[in-house]
Amino acid sequence: MKSQSPLDIVHEKGLNGDYEGKNESDILKINEVKNLLIVQIVKFKDSKITISNFKINGIEMSEESNMVKSINETRILWVGPNNWLVTSTDKNLLPKIKETFKETDFAVTDLSHSRAIIEIEGKNCREVLKKGCPYNFNDLKKNNCVNSIFHGITLTIDMMNDSPEKIRLFALRSFGESMHHSITDASLEFGYKNI
Amino acid sequence: MLYIECPYCGLRSQNEFAYGGDGTVKRPTLNKEVSDKEWDNFVYNRKSPRGKHVELWHHISGCRQWIKVQRDTVTHEIFKTVSADKEI
Repeated sequence: MKSQSPLDIVHEKGLNGDYEGKNESDILKINEVKNLLIVQIVKFKDSKITISNFKINGIEMSEESNMVKSINETRILWVGPNNWLVTSTDKNLLPKIKETFKETDFAVTDLSHSRAIIEIEGKNCREVLKKGCPYNFNDLKKNNCVNSIFHGITLTIDMMNDSPEKIRLFALRSFGESMHHSITDASLEFGYKNI
Repeated sequence: MLYIECPYCGLRSQNEFAYGGDGTVKRPTLNKEVSDKEWDNFVYNRKSPRGKHVELWHHISGCRQWIKVQRDTVTHEIFKTVSADKEI
């Protein structure tokens, strides 16, 4: 038996939309991110622990809203008060997290297989998201993250880079196909390449 | 379209929120005799004021926190927002 990624059926590689006559560097690149470790960490309401004492691979947990702290491929997203999302390509991170964040003060949940993840790269990333999301994307800078809604789908948006723009979108796995359809539909006018 | 200042995330569109009803309703004290009328008032009876009203909203597509919002029901102007554990 083989494991299947959430967008395996819908994500077909190739050029789409209005790409003709445009440089490949000007069109959007859409990629499904697979095999990413996603861990949710929630600090209990009655816990007296100070979060600034905790680090994951040397990365502090941000207490500032909508901020991401990162080193290399490990990113810690603030997704709510006392609520963080850790994303990493390092699968061995989970045991370390469970060891650091004791179950007396934190709820640690592995969400790796419950999210569909799309990465968009290119100068029109913000324009694509503006089509279906009420958030003011002009305010979104590098290492900002935001929970919002895109055509009725609840998304976590991680601004990985702003020059060139690179954005990672997380939706519930069951909403993955709808999200992919909405994002690619909004990308048609700019031309996009599924990679 | 309303824009609501979430005390945790900042200014966000109403699309991200779910309305949670009257924010002034208090649950009757536990382990105390409660009359049918008091219980009715807690469960069913609501005021429908014209003007300033304190409401509960849930930032369901954002930080998932409950907040209190003071809003004018006529003009929809929002005067103040605080976390649910605070009083307006």
